[in-house]
Amino acid sequence: MRIVKLKKENLFPFLEVISKEADLWAPVKKYEDKHVFKAVEDFSEIDLDYQRTIIPPRRILLPPKTNMFEATQNTYKEDFSNVSKKIIFGIHACDVNALVIMDRFYNFAYDDPYYTRARENTLILGYSCWPDEHCLCKSTNTHIVTEGYDLFFSKLDTHYLVWIGSSQGDDLIRKQPSLFNEDISDKDIQTYLNWQKEREDAFQAEIDFIDMPDLIELKYNDPLWEELGKACLACGSCTNVCPTCNCYNVYDKPILGKNASKIVRCWDACTLENYSEVAGGENFRENRADRLKLWYTHKLQAYISKYGKPACVGCGRCIVSCPVDINVLTVGKTLSGEKVDAFWKRFNLQVKKEVRK
Amino acid sequence: MENSKLKIGIYELTGCAGDALLILDCEKELIDIFNAADIQSFVMAKSDNIEGDLDIALVEGSVTTEKEIEELKDIRQRSKIVVAIGLCATVGGIQARFLDPKEWNERFKKVYGNIEMTHTKPVQSKPIDAYIDVDFYLPGCPIGKEQFLIFFTRILKGNPPEKSQNPVCVTCKYNENDCLLKKGILCLGPLTEDGCGAICINHNLPCAGCWGPLKTGNRTSEYYLLKEKGFDVEHIKKKMANYSGTKIASFLKELEKEKK
Repeated sequence: MRIVKLKKENLFPFLEVISKEADLWAPVKKYEDKHVFKAVEDFSEIDLDYQRTIIPPRRILLPPKTNMFEATQNTYKEDFSNVSKKIIFGIHACDVNALVIMDRFYNFAYDDPYYTRARENTLILGYSCWPDEHCLCKSTNTHIVTEGYDLFFSKLDTHYLVWIGSSQGDDLIRKQPSLFNEDISDKDIQTYLNWQKEREDAFQAEIDFIDMPDLIELKYNDPLWEELGKACLACGSCTNVCPTCNCYNVYDKPILGKNASKIVRCWDACTLENYSEVAGGENFRENRADRLKLWYTHKLQAYISKYGKPACVGCGRCIVSCPVDINVLTVGKTLSGEKVDAFWKRFNLQVKKEVRK
Repeated sequence: MENSKLKIGIYELTGCAGDALLILDCEKELIDIFNAADIQSFVMAKSDNIEGDLDIALVEGSVTTEKEIEELKDIRQRSKIVVAIGLCATVGGIQARFLDPKEWNERFKKVYGNIEMTHTKPVQSKPIDAYIDVDFYLPGCPIGKEQFLIFFTRILKGNPPEKSQNPVCVTCKYNENDCLLKKGILCLGPLTEDGCGAICINHNLPCAGCWGPLKTGNRTSEYYLLKEKGFDVEHIKKKMANYSGTKIASFLKELEKEKK
């Protein structure tokens, strides 16, 4: 690993150089306070002063709906049209860590060619951030990156410190080395350390993830799950915005006038009603409470037991997305015995009151 | 070859005829549609209609007269598969917005006075499954082109259609929209069948529910959520009832009870 220095005014010239051979994806503003990753040609669209995109960058590697292949009775033609050279610039540490988890999922027992081919052609250029009240990544220890990036930009006053995390990252720098500077002064190092210390202290949200597997086990039959199930709108948003969710559905889209079919792959969510429906119409998790329990058990227990860390990277997307406040923070805190203020909590109290009446 | 094609009938009861129109509007695919199926009856598209036995009948519109009840029963009898297409056929449409029979009679008199109907007797508007067994439902107001073509092609090839049970929110998130409900806007996305492509929310307008109510939608929770956000309860009920036809009657009754 090597660290180099880049003057702020050299950032766009650098992006100009590297985007010649690949599509550059970067955060752009979609709403007043909400951003999305978009393939950009006009760099003035890039807005690095963003908190979190609505949908995580996994969307770029595996879009919500893709054609997998077209088949007839005797032929089969794969569709890898989503595979192209891409550079994702401006990814925050939580999302870089989430992609590490995605890499593991899609290579776990069998290689998923649709993901891995797209991933092999994609370079990850991380970018430093500052936490807001919903960022939980310090608790999940994903507020820093140790792997999964090709370059990582830490923004200081007048320049960036750029971590080179892979040989492909190094190749990017070498395309125009004159833009970079190798001599990092003691003052630069001190500025970086001060920034890092201040950032560590700026986190407001916190959960103790170490206890989560035990708490989920101990509270597996807790009334909490029924309370959550009563309020849950089953909209699937927590799942669709989660950077480590990876379930999908596959269906046939027969072509009219041809004896052929397109096989479509689309994101699925275990929090949705028809996710657990099997042939014959049986559904194992008709109850919303059971579905939420599955999601949280996966994120906060099963994955920790297997890999020693949660399948949550603390990005805060479920916190800003769930209309009824069911999210890692309120559920985690409730499991730890803390009081929380959330719609699902107030809703249950209200319903109980009305039953008593 | 001609004989192996499935015999199809497309029928319109009371509605805006938007669903039949949408089928005709599949201009690029129209030749393929007529090539792949033997369209026996389709009043909007042709005049030489044959009313005989059918493999599949697509029925749009709600049932609002006694004559239509007869017509519908006759279609059922002649068809192996009956599909309800569009909001009016699937839930009854806006005209079936839950009203008790007494209230309906009063409204009817208010609009038509004591006029005597000679042609056929009007009845309270209902979805087609109030009178006959329905094999499949294709919601929408009107139905969506892509959804219809996938559905139609599958059924022509003898495969049951995919069941859509997702709320609008799923596609809305695919499209990376900001959640309007979270922002305090009365959006019915979580309670509404997916299929429209989240078109309103894509344009920053809330979902009005026109694809019809999602069977498993958590109406109670969203009702309380909207109430907490300061919406008037009558307004919430009106919005929820608008495109739900007769299908959320029991939920609305529960709310009435609660008021008392």
